[in-house]
Amino acid sequence: MKKSIALLLLAALSLYVYVRNDVPDQDPYAITDYSRLHPVKVERVVKGQEERQLVAIVQEARQKGLTVSIAGQRHSQGGHTYYKDGIVVDMTSFNRILAVDPARKTVRVQAGATWKDVQDAVNPYGLAVKTKQSQNIFTVGGSISINAHGRDIRNGSLIKSVESFRLLTADGQIKQVSRTENADLFPLALGGYGLFGIILDVTLTLADDEMYRITSDRMSVGEYSAYFQNRVKSNPDIRLHLARISVAPDSFLTDMYAINYTVDRSIPLRGHDRLNEGERLVIPTKLMFNLNRSFDWGKNVFWDLQKRFFGTQQGTVISRNNAMRSESGFMEYREAGKNDLLQEYFIPPDELSAFVEDFKAVLRSESMNLLNITVRYVNRDEEAKLSYAREDMFALVCLFNVPLTEQGQTQMKQSVQRILDAVMKHRGTYYLPYAPYASLDQFRAMYPNYGVFFNKKDEYDPEHLFMNYFYENYRGE
Amino acid sequence: MNALNAQWLIRSQSIVTLAAGMIYPYYLLFLKNAGNSYSKYGLAFAVFTVSSAAVSQWLAPRLDRHGVRMLAASSLGMAAVMLAFPWVMSYGLVLVLQLVMGICNAMQKMSERLLIADHTQHGSRGVVIGSFHFWTSAASGFAVILGGFLIDWLTIDALFYASALLYALSAWAVWRYGRHGAGRAAAAESQRAAHRQL
Repeated sequence: MKKSIALLLLAALSLYVYVRNDVPDQDPYAITDYSRLHPVKVERVVKGQEERQLVAIVQEARQKGLTVSIAGQRHSQGGHTYYKDGIVVDMTSFNRILAVDPARKTVRVQAGATWKDVQDAVNPYGLAVKTKQSQNIFTVGGSISINAHGRDIRNGSLIKSVESFRLLTADGQIKQVSRTENADLFPLALGGYGLFGIILDVTLTLADDEMYRITSDRMSVGEYSAYFQNRVKSNPDIRLHLARISVAPDSFLTDMYAINYTVDRSIPLRGHDRLNEGERLVIPTKLMFNLNRSFDWGKNVFWDLQKRFFGTQQGTVISRNNAMRSESGFMEYREAGKNDLLQEYFIPPDELSAFVEDFKAVLRSESMNLLNITVRYVNRDEEAKLSYAREDMFALVCLFNVPLTEQGQTQMKQSVQRILDAVMKHRGTYYLPYAPYASLDQFRAMYPNYGVFFNKKDEYDPEHLFMNYFYENYRGE
Repeated sequence: MNALNAQWLIRSQSIVTLAAGMIYPYYLLFLKNAGNSYSKYGLAFAVFTVSSAAVSQWLAPRLDRHGVRMLAASSLGMAAVMLAFPWVMSYGLVLVLQLVMGICNAMQKMSERLLIADHTQHGSRGVVIGSFHFWTSAASGFAVILGGFLIDWLTIDALFYASALLYALSAWAVWRYGRHGAGRAAAAESQRAAHRQL
């Protein structure tokens, strides 16, 4: 009898797990990206190993009429790295560090190398990356293809630290691209989302590794712009900066805290520049983040804990390289049918508080589950054709927990489009690596160079060999 | 002898399979990530089997006297290994832990078989062995499903710690009831011997 009950229970549990996971985003035979949205079957995924092989893939695709998509860590969330029935070139294995030049302060790496690989290679020379995302898990090729930005407030977006790169184009040629050679391709392929060819290797300019002292301040959203202009931007010794806006119900979109990394020349770099490996306290942080995701009280507790944690960090010292490899393990989330997706809005400093008021109104009426907002600063940088920083901007990186069902996504799209209307009203733009919720009109309004970009795409790649869902969604016509 | 006498064994070993089943499939994933090639992955398993085989020959002559102790020690050893795994940062240490797990495996498998034999009688072992297999397998089934949820909610490290806790619990159960059960088995054996003499 006991055995029958146990068996029945086990069978029922198995059935429950099967049904719960029987959703498209959990299909192991379909390809998708970090978003788990829009899974499709592809012709094949090929690991990039060497140049000749990549050239052969491009030629084979041309002959057979297949498309090629280029993937790194696949952390972009809008189908930029794959296309139905096409070849996906996985560049993560094409990841050698080719040369570090300490005198010129440059590093040359294959496109699949991650920021961690770069940091490991340049740290012994007392050098550091100029601009990158907060975490170091992304590939260099992927990062320059989305023209990333991060905590550094002095070096603009990533395109600024790219000196040159080699690009395998649709005709099977390998072109050296810089601001002087094949210069036309430079602002197209950087921030070009893989539509102009396979970036093979990149030469990046580097900064000095330095010791920073961490300080944090609390303020309201209304006070933040003035705080940033008067206390942060005006102090050239503050090199890295980020801020967070509360999403906790008790202080919803009003409370903020900011973290500054100020150069401290009294601390020698040697002896303090060992790179941090592994992540600390992932279990409790992940548990807390789960509560933040699931309950309103969890959001209140998580916000209080964050503030308290950064209070304890006050005055601690950290090297630039360590400050630029922040932790991400606690954010991992694999729940079937749901995911945490990013959206990012760039808002000019003088519009921030007005925008946040409008944002708040939309969020309240749309009942979206917003988990976190971090604020970064990017200098005006219009070099990339699809540039998001037409003036100095605050970047609001918003993490939403969203259902992946068709109905949930339709709802999300409507809500995000309302937010984007508010973004436009305040002279803002949005970031393109994320789920394609923006309407075609919204995309065109915020990226007025779209015509040039897509016409150049057709010129360099008339057969549309390099293909992805970003092109399909926003080419229009 | 009947299944009742072996109940403590079935229960404690169900906790062991709960602990093992919870971690095993995920441990394989972990191990695969530790080796960059399949041959390195294979080597990690070879170390386990070699140490298990080697130590069995040392254990064999001591098995009859120290069966319960070995069973408890194997669980304690596994608990220690599970606690150590999240802190391992080199392939060399993975091999060391594989070696220790090989030793624990020999102790567990050998003493488990011995104790089943001790607590059953020729001609009526089927039911007990069937019961043993059922409960240990079922525990493994629950454990592996639970393990998946635990990793999704927390991390694989949390799973290692949970597994360590269960191993420690099973060591305690073996120690607490095993000596008692073994004593009972010995008493029953001497009683039978007395009957035979009569």
